[in-house]
Amino acid sequence: MTEESPIIELKNLTKSYKNGMEFRALDNANLKIKKGEFVAIVGPSGSGKSTLMHLIGLLDTPSSGTLLIDRNNVTNMSDKERSEIRNKMLGFVFQYHHLLPDFTALENVMMPLLIAGKKRKEAKETAEKLLKEVGLEDRMDHKPGELSGGQNQRVAIARALSCSPAIVLGDEPTGNLDTKTGDMIYELLRQLNKEYNQTFIVVTHNDDMALKADRIIRLVDGKITVQ
Amino acid sequence: MHYELFIALRQIRARKFQTILSVGAIALAVMVLTVSQALMVGFTDELYNTTVNKLPHVSVSPQEDEDYIYLYRTLVDNIEKVEGVSAVSPFLTGKASFRFKTNSYNAELKGVLPLKENNISDIETDMVEGDFRDLEYSRNTIVIGSKLADKLEVNPGDSVNVSFPNANPLSLRVVGIFHTGSPLDESLTYTSLDTAQEFYNVPDVINGLSVRLEDFNRDREVAAKIEKTGYKARGWTETNPEILRTIAIETTSNNVILGLIVVIASFGVVSALNLSVIGATSQIGMLRAMGATIFSIRTIFVLQSGILGLLGALVGTLTGIAASLGIGQYEMPAASSELYGGLTTIPIVIRIGDILVIILAVFLLNLIAGIYPAQQAAKLDPVKSISSK
Ligand SMILES: Nc1ncnc2c1ncn2[C@@H]1O[C@H](COP(=O)(O)OP(=O)(O)O)[C@@H](O)[C@H]1O
Ligand SMILES: [Mg+2]
Repeated sequence: MTEESPIIELKNLTKSYKNGMEFRALDNANLKIKKGEFVAIVGPSGSGKSTLMHLIGLLDTPSSGTLLIDRNNVTNMSDKERSEIRNKMLGFVFQYHHLLPDFTALENVMMPLLIAGKKRKEAKETAEKLLKEVGLEDRMDHKPGELSGGQNQRVAIARALSCSPAIVLGDEPTGNLDTKTGDMIYELLRQLNKEYNQTFIVVTHNDDMALKADRIIRLVDGKITVQ
Repeated sequence: MHYELFIALRQIRARKFQTILSVGAIALAVMVLTVSQALMVGFTDELYNTTVNKLPHVSVSPQEDEDYIYLYRTLVDNIEKVEGVSAVSPFLTGKASFRFKTNSYNAELKGVLPLKENNISDIETDMVEGDFRDLEYSRNTIVIGSKLADKLEVNPGDSVNVSFPNANPLSLRVVGIFHTGSPLDESLTYTSLDTAQEFYNVPDVINGLSVRLEDFNRDREVAAKIEKTGYKARGWTETNPEILRTIAIETTSNNVILGLIVVIASFGVVSALNLSVIGATSQIGMLRAMGATIFSIRTIFVLQSGILGLLGALVGTLTGIAASLGIGQYEMPAASSELYGGLTTIPIVIRIGDILVIILAVFLLNLIAGIYPAQQAAKLDPVKSISSK
């Protein structure tokens, strides 16, 4: 089997902020991530982990360098094109669940599918299947306010997976949960990764968790130090 | 259903208190607008009925350089056939001097065909004594205005002496008295066309025609058609332009004030929506992460504003219609009736066209007003929105 082309490729990717003097939150990052990989990103606070996730997630734009997703250069795309890639190819889980508070768990999971233009019925079926998968079949009609932190985070994971994205990005997805719940969520992510062969990039502070990944990427002061 | 509408509707429903306030503010403004419009149209219609309807809608006069219209019978027939004309009345009118005992006054003596004149004016209902039709069936009779009758001190049955330079003096018996509440009560008298022709010493001619229209708003258009017969025809808006001007000024200033009320209410919605944008910052960031475009975020908030406007407009017009109908039921105290020109109830006219225009205008206004908060929401940086909380 020949070397598969990477699903994500960073070439000299830099994000800098200027207030007075230039500050590089991400400094000349070069990185290739293969399809189906489970990558853990570690590093001290302020080292640029979130910045890297936001850039890969097309929520932020790099100051210089190139980002390829599935071999497409996404660096200079329009809002419409970037939005479409976020919708179809990327799934997000953040430290906070960011569920829409006025919608039920089911409706929250349906939302990316509705944004993709899928029919209500089809979106509902997919969302129900995913909520079962994360163990929330009896909580589907509850709103976020009626669910625990761990449950909400599982809803957020189901939502991230609803459009079957090629890439799932988790920025400290367990950071806000107690250790036991955090471990369970992490296990769930790992299991989903094996089941569906989706690419996972997960930021974590927990070394035990990181060790379970296929690869660990360490960031220090905006620079990738270990691959 | 597009997800933008799904989200917009859900957020409106979730923010119950804010929604009720926003819809209430618009509804109140729209209600005032609706009631005021119904009153305005009611009073305008009333004004038309009391003034315009008593005027000839179109007046036909002799050709230039002529004093009289000859062969008027065919002309009457022809004008009656013009589309939009409902009645025609020929007349011969002029000045005359009226004397009874020692009292003497000048007034207009108008010779008419009573049955035809009846069709173009309210004279029959304005009669307070006698019967206008008696002019038709008797010779040398006269119907006079109430004020003139008072000044001359005549009563029905009395004979007044009518004279004028170059005219044949006649003695005319009073068969009726009319009261219109206008200056005509002291300046106008009616007699039969035959009697007038005898008095003014002319053959079978007239010096004008009064025309009544099916729709008095079409006066200029129908006048133009009548002019094709070769005679001069002028609509009431041309002969009495001040009536139209008064109404137009009042309507315009009224509408400007009411429009401002609605604009202010819509601004209330904008500020409420602006607050909800701030409250929804992290949701907006997450929607962007899920793939919602900047355009979609904007749409969600413009829709919310538009929907609130539409709800406010519907509630406002419905309550406005109900309030207007209630006002229309109100019986005015008898004492004040004379003050308002004999009205016993407050005139109310609800036009479906006005209601639709109000609803559409308020909806559009709110769509436009929603652009500002929507723009605030759309330009939020997704990274910052997600990092907030
Ligand atoms: N909008 C910004 N303006 C200036 N500096 C920023 C901005 N966003 C992030 N940074 C800086 O960039 C660095 C990396 O931040 P971040 O990627 O959030 O770190 P991590 O997620 O690893 O804790 C930090 O020092 C942070 O202060
Ligand atoms: Mg971070």
